Amino acid sequence: MSVEMDVDSDHVAPAPTEGNPTPETDVSMPEALPTPEPPIIPEKATGPQYKIRYSLSGHTMSISSLKFSPDGSKLASSGADKIIKLWDTYTGNVLRTLVGHTEGISDIAWSNDGEHLASASDDKTIRIWDMKVGTEIKTLLGHTNFVFCVNYNPNSNLLVSGGFDETVRVWDVARAKSLKVLPAHSDPVTSVSFNHDGTLIVSCAMDGLIRIWDADSGQCLKTLVDDDNPICSHVKFSPNSKFVLASTQDSTIRLWNYQTSRCVKTYSGHTNRTYCLFACFKGKYVVSGSEDAKVYIWDLQTRQVLQVLEGHRDVVLAVATHPTKDIIASASMEKDLTIRLWYDSSGGLSM
Amino acid sequence: MNESLISPFNITHPTTVQTSLFALASFARFDPTGRYVATARVDGTAAIWDLDTRAAVRVLDGHVKAVSNLDWSRHSRYVLTASKDWNVVVWDLASSCVPAQRCATLRFDAPVVSAAFHPRNSHIILALMSTGEAYLIDQRKAHRARIELCEQQEESDDEGAGSSTRTRSAITVARFDPSGKHIFMGTSGGYILVFNTRTKTMVARHKITGAGAIKGLEFTKTGRQLVSNSADRTLRQFTVPMYPSPTTDGAYIEQELEPTHRFNDPINRTAWHAMSYSPDGEWLAGGAADTATHKIYIWDISNEGQFANALDGGREPLLHLHWHPFKSSIASTTNQGNILIWHCPHPERWGAFAGGFEELDENVEYEEREDEFDIEDEADMIRRKMKEEEEEVDIDTIPEAAKPRDVQLHGVQAGDEDVAWADEEPDDDVQDWKMRVIMEEDWDI
Repeated sequence: MSVEMDVDSDHVAPAPTEGNPTPETDVSMPEALPTPEPPIIPEKATGPQYKIRYSLSGHTMSISSLKFSPDGSKLASSGADKIIKLWDTYTGNVLRTLVGHTEGISDIAWSNDGEHLASASDDKTIRIWDMKVGTEIKTLLGHTNFVFCVNYNPNSNLLVSGGFDETVRVWDVARAKSLKVLPAHSDPVTSVSFNHDGTLIVSCAMDGLIRIWDADSGQCLKTLVDDDNPICSHVKFSPNSKFVLASTQDSTIRLWNYQTSRCVKTYSGHTNRTYCLFACFKGKYVVSGSEDAKVYIWDLQTRQVLQVLEGHRDVVLAVATHPTKDIIASASMEKDLTIRLWYDSSGGLSM
Repeated sequence: MNESLISPFNITHPTTVQTSLFALASFARFDPTGRYVATARVDGTAAIWDLDTRAAVRVLDGHVKAVSNLDWSRHSRYVLTASKDWNVVVWDLASSCVPAQRCATLRFDAPVVSAAFHPRNSHIILALMSTGEAYLIDQRKAHRARIELCEQQEESDDEGAGSSTRTRSAITVARFDPSGKHIFMGTSGGYILVFNTRTKTMVARHKITGAGAIKGLEFTKTGRQLVSNSADRTLRQFTVPMYPSPTTDGAYIEQELEPTHRFNDPINRTAWHAMSYSPDGEWLAGGAADTATHKIYIWDISNEGQFANALDGGREPLLHLHWHPFKSSIASTTNQGNILIWHCPHPERWGAFAGGFEELDENVEYEEREDEFDIEDEADMIRRKMKEEEEEVDIDTIPEAAKPRDVQLHGVQAGDEDVAWADEEPDDDVQDWKMRVIMEEDWDI
């Protein structure tokens, strides 16, 4: 049972799955050879050419989430080992380890000024950490089951969280008080976040629905659903909030125009059947981890895979993209336990 | 941003109380971003409330007597409080100390009834004393000055005897217009005086016939319309004329202003405590000075100024009201110190919970397309979908409609001398400035 609990904290569906899809070949690959050789060679000279710069070890159990600080100088990681680690983006040094949660951590989020970090855990709490001092300053109690996802609003006075109690909660950060409880979904909520001006919230769940909410009134404004209703594992607004990027466990990432309820782009080629993988925008690319232990980079417009980053030896759950520079961070599960920082050598062409 | 998903077929003035803040306030004003309200208290403190969390986030403690008025700088970084203890204090909300730190104190020799920042530069402050004098204080290094704005007496040039008997009437209200080019002041004698902010000279004097003492002045966001509150219990709306640049010989326009609309309560003849325009200038809200009820009257300016609605806010009489800078929301203060936040509720659309469903107002005859149930070849379908997805998407450009709107201010041209003057030595109140969130245990309200 304890093993399953740990698995839960790792962005894993609780339902039994069809086996570990990690290829054997990758496991046997020696770690000393971190030279990614993309199988699909980018034809255009403008394609991304990410190469591994650092491989960071420190976590002892699956790494669940990675987030760059707002200024990009630091990278925070969380894992099933109940700890949060803070890394220097440019040197790869570990700066701090935050201990306090009593169960595995599923998600973390930075406040807009980079002073605070919120973490969502299987111990049913959200904790807020002072990143200057490295201490826990608040515990948000209210969720009745595992908390699975958390995000700040742009002003960082509110937090939104979702979890296995199937609710979306909006919190007053300064007072550690729950402001709203939205009975949002009929299955565990896997991802939730605000749009760029904080007026909308998007949430998605294992019921396969993506819902858009009015942040002020808590009213549901829209529901997006794909025909086949696959489990939706991650969702976020585009930088201008006109679209949402949604990852589903049919090995597909879709870009939705939520105004018209139309899917405008489909990204595929990676493997995603079991876990809740993060997907990110990076300039004109879309980046996601994959269950084949690789990181995929698609062209936002043409939907072609431009580069595949190889090197991890287990499912890549978490990826994060640097806010300004051409840096991607990725992290992997049990058999690997490394965080890798990939730098684009082609010279800032992704922006 | 959420407007695009909310039904547009809604009344655009607030209709019901959304929330009530227990603030012990005598006065509440939204900030220009619409995220906060600043409240003034009788005990001399003021507080900043966050409307997202409905909690006080800063306390401004610096007066020994009641705060009579407060104002926000252009991008909400600075707040000034005017008090009956003869002081005006400017607060910098960027400092994260609790209680907040003052960054300037201006002392006067009379109780201050109102004070305001210049709309373009918080270093320029207009202050009005209870004794009826108005001062313009410029704290910029190159312009440092404190000048009293005096009404020019035309009789002073005359040799006749009548001039000496006429006493200067007291100034009862002083406001910058939204561009900051002019200062509008109401007098106890029923005049509106207009001063140029840069030269501090009077450019116009308007007689408002039948009004009596002017009690209040409010502008629309563009500055094109002006509404006055006066002792005759009538609100008058005027179209603001274009004023020429001030001349060196001190000439000014002497002109009677004819109101375009008059608003009053024909039955109860109630006086008005406050009024505020909606951001688009299409509605005017008037707060009735009723001693038993909390009533807000709404007039439809776009529709000949017709009376549209009377909002009932319960038993606590109204002291003040202020319309949100861009939303359909009003903050009204009761005499018990509670702040009512009014909004326009959107009916819950249950159809939004079901993906792909659309609510219809009436039955629609369904017409089946010729090929609706034809089985499409899978390869064709994929090809069609792929083709549809060829279209470029723009994920970065924020639509114009979602950005803060810049309004065309009345009487401001490109390269305006007065605007350039006000922009000299700008303050550090920048657009994307954000107030730091302070965790609660560090302080106590």
